[in-house]
Parts: sequence; structure tokens; C-alpha cells
Amino acid sequence: MAEATQNSRNKIYALGIVGFLLILSVLYYMSAPVYLYIVAYMWFGFIYGILQQYGRFCFASAFRDLIMVKVTRMFVGIMIGLITLSVINAFVVTIYPDKYIIESIGFHGLLGGLLFGFGMVFAGGCATGSLYKTGEGNMISLTVLLSLSFSQAIFAATALDWFTAHFITGHTLNDITVTKLIFGGVGNPTAKYSFFQHLLGDSIINTFLVGLILLIAVYFIVVRKPFLKRRAKQMAAVAGTTADAATADGGTVKTGFKDELAGFWSMISASRRTSIAAILIGIVAAAQIFTLAWMQNHYNFTNFGQVLAGKPAVGRPLPSGSPVAAKTPASWPKDQATFPQVSKNNTVFDPGYWYITTQEAMFAGWTLQSAGLHMDHNSYFGQSNGLPNPWMSPALLLSVGLILGASFKALLAREFKWKFPKNKEMVIYAVGGGTLMGIGARVGLGCNIGAFYGPAAFGNPSGWVFAIGLGLGAYLSAKIINYFANRRLAADDMDFDIKL
Amino acid sequence: MQFNKNDDGTYELDVTGYVCPHPQLYTLKCMEKLQDGMIMDVLIDNPSSVESVTQACTGKGYEILEKTNPKAGVTALKIQK
Repeated sequence: MAEATQNSRNKIYALGIVGFLLILSVLYYMSAPVYLYIVAYMWFGFIYGILQQYGRFCFASAFRDLIMVKVTRMFVGIMIGLITLSVINAFVVTIYPDKYIIESIGFHGLLGGLLFGFGMVFAGGCATGSLYKTGEGNMISLTVLLSLSFSQAIFAATALDWFTAHFITGHTLNDITVTKLIFGGVGNPTAKYSFFQHLLGDSIINTFLVGLILLIAVYFIVVRKPFLKRRAKQMAAVAGTTADAATADGGTVKTGFKDELAGFWSMISASRRTSIAAILIGIVAAAQIFTLAWMQNHYNFTNFGQVLAGKPAVGRPLPSGSPVAAKTPASWPKDQATFPQVSKNNTVFDPGYWYITTQEAMFAGWTLQSAGLHMDHNSYFGQSNGLPNPWMSPALLLSVGLILGASFKALLAREFKWKFPKNKEMVIYAVGGGTLMGIGARVGLGCNIGAFYGPAAFGNPSGWVFAIGLGLGAYLSAKIINYFANRRLAADDMDFDIKL
Repeated sequence: MQFNKNDDGTYELDVTGYVCPHPQLYTLKCMEKLQDGMIMDVLIDNPSSVESVTQACTGKGYEILEKTNPKAGVTALKIQK
């Protein structure tokens, strides 16, 4: 009876979340039709939240569980998601060539990945993983998010310009994608390519081939030996020999190439829910790029900051039928400028695709600025990203939508639970890990999504450079956590040397 | 975190309140200490850890005899080595 009451209460809360987001959507639209752009970000976030919670989609898990407990599901899921997104993205950038994202390759990516990877394993979740876990009621993940947000903002306001001047500007390889390397056009940012050129260079070579090599490597290092051992035992049982006599490499039972393929497939299909979520996330990520690019065209802007500043992009004619005296399209706010000084470039952070950390840095920056600190005397906030009110920061609404989408799904699945840190150890891991992730995200110019998942799917080798750093960082912190876990188990109060 | 031996010879591990990677890490470390055929009940309130424990058990040849949801947000796994 109590369970039935709890279930129906959960359903009401879940519906309440949808109702709240619908009301918010209407309010945005009533303020100005162009604000549907923010609404679109929010609902895409909501869908990411549902899918991530369903698939337990977290990049920390991909590296950490692979290293610590030999679980491959999330690493496989990320590769599946990357391949899906890269194929659809080849379509999208053929239609909208100016959405062809090309990140610089350099030492900053490796270092940023290293710090981020080291931090995310301690924190217990990556940037986007911590968002969906916050939606499950996990306040430890919220602590991670806040640490990540404020460490980014403080680093950006104090040290990022120095770091950029010494380690990024003039120290990177720019405008390089695999498609450009094959078909020419490196150094020509306006070069255009056909769908098949993008498909070959960006999807097949940069994403699929690299992903396949990594999956085969993981199969050989982690999965193969125990799988073939189990397989040989099963075969021995069928053949009537003793299991002990069967081994993979000798003995009475021999395994062959067919068994290798079966082993590889068992790794790919180990977690159906992770793989399904991965494919759907790839599709949604591509749909988001397409939708937001279409909306920018439809509402006459190239960056949402132009809407906030009330200044259309140069060379961008107003829609036909606009009044002669009009300075901005009719769909824009009537008071013309919501934030005249949004940033020096009249831009805000508006990536147009799945992105996580910058909007959270802006939220923390805005909070500190509101508290009286000067947060915009630097190029990160002052020049391009701005410090708009949180409700006018499009990408931040994606993060809000993601949290609420995860809450919605967790409530319906009876997995929502308020969880507060039980001890100091959890708080130290969350704050320390979150802070390192924040610094890593700014050093590497993005997080596990913006510097790895997106670029690796868009044909950018820079994504893989960040991934190498992620892997190394995750490996180091996994070893440290494992050391502390062993020490704890050996301590008197947790003696696991059980006398049987 | 609680690890207990029951009167019937089974074991119990409560890792509620912990986030990744601790629940999966301690579950597997505890399982390693058991002998083949022994049973351990694990309580986890971190959904992603349940997913990882499930796959790790399959990989190691442990059997998950039962998976229940005793209360909202908490999963109970009965694992046999």
C-alpha cells in the first residue's frame, strides 16, 4: 500500500516537472518568440537527462570502471554514441557548413584532459554525469557541480588569460580535421565539402576506425582472457571432459576465431540499455545541432548574444516585411536590448550543440559578479561568453533541462532518492574532484563533451588528444582510490580476511 | 559501510550513501574474499553502480540470483560466487 502511494506520488512529481517546463516554455515564448531558442536548448537538455539516466551514461564510468572493475559497458557505449553522432553530423555540416566545428590541437588538450580525467574519477562522475546524478537526488553530485562551476569561474577570471598566452596562442595546430587533410583545405576556414567527403574523413576514419581500434584493444586487454576461459569450460562441459582440463590456449578444448568474434560481440552487447541510450544520444545530439542551426537562420542571428544586445549580426538583413524603422526582427524582445553590454563581441556562450561546462562557469561567474567581484575583466567572460542572467544563458537551460530530465526518468523508475554526503571522505572527493575537473575543463577548452565527445565525432583529432589525457588521468586516480580502498579493507574495523 | 556475516553463512554488504566508484569497488573486493558457491546480499542506492556491478559479475562468472527494489532508490542484489 505504502509502495503504491509512493509510486503514484513519484508519477505526480514527474508530471509536475513536465508541467513546470511547459509553463516556463510558454513564459519564454510570451516574452519574445525568439526565446524559443532557449526553450529548445532546455528541452534537448531534458531529453539528454532522460537518456543519460536510462543508460547511466557517464564518461567517468567509461574509463574508471574499465580500469578498476573491468567493466566495459560505458566505454563501448561512448564509442557507439560517437559513431552514431559522427555519421549524422556529416549530413548536418553538409547542409550547414558554418557549423563545421574545428578545435585546435595542442598541449592544452592533453593537460586539460589529464586534470579533468584525474578529477572526474575522484568526483565519481564527469561533467554531464554529475548533472544527471544530481537529477537522481544525489547531492554529492551537486557538490561536484558547484565545485566544477566555481573553480572554472575563478580560474577563468584569474589565470586563464595567462595560460592562454603562454601555452595556447601560437602553440596549437589549427583548422585541422581528417577531411581537410585528405581533401585539402587546411588553413581555409570556409572550405566546403560534400557529404561523402565528411563521411569518409570525419566519420569513417576519425571516429569509426579509431573507435574500432580502441574497442579491439579493450577486448584483448580486458575481455578476451576471462571470456575464452569461460567459453572453453562450457565447451568442455558439453564435450564431457572436465572443466579443469580445458584452457583457452591448450588442453583438451581449443577456441577459434568464431569464439573471438563471439567474445567481441559479448562485449558490445553486454549492456543493452547503455548501447540503446548511446545510439539515441548520438541521434539527439545531431538533431540539436540541426534544430539550433535552423532556428538561428529563422530568427536572424548567428549567436544569441546579438539578441541580448539588440544588435543583429553585420550583413544580416531583417526578414522581409519588417517595418522600415525596425532595427531588430519582430520576433526579438520589444525593448531591443536585454543586455546592451553582454560582452565585447556582442556574443554569449551559444555552442549550438551538446555542451556542459562553460555555461556552468558563467553561472558561477555571474554569481560572483553579483556578489561584487569583477569577473568580466578577462577574455573568457568579458570578450566572448558574457555573464548574462542565468535565465538568459541558453546553454545553462540545457543543464537545467538535463537535471530535470534525469529527475523525471528516475522518479518514474523508482530510482530517485535524496542522497546527502554521509561523511567527510565523500565531501573531499566531491570538492577536490570537481575543482580539478573545472580547472581541466578551462585548460583543455572543454569537458568530456565539449573537448572530447563533440570534437571526436566532428572529425577533430583534438578530441582524441583530450581523450588520451582523460585516460591517463583516470588511470592515475583509479590507482590512488584503489590503494585507499585496500588500506581501508585491511583496517581493523573492516577486516575482510574472513575465517570460514 | 557495513559488512556482516549472517547466521545462515551468507554475507551482507551495505554500501548505501556512497557514489561511484565505491559501491562497485567494495562489492567486487568483498566477493573476491568469498569462496565459490557463497552468497552475498548487497544494498546499493547509486543506480549506475548497479549497472556496473551487474556486468562485472557476469564477466567474473558470478551469478546474480535476485535483484529487488526494497524501497525507492535502493537496489538489493543477491550474488553467488
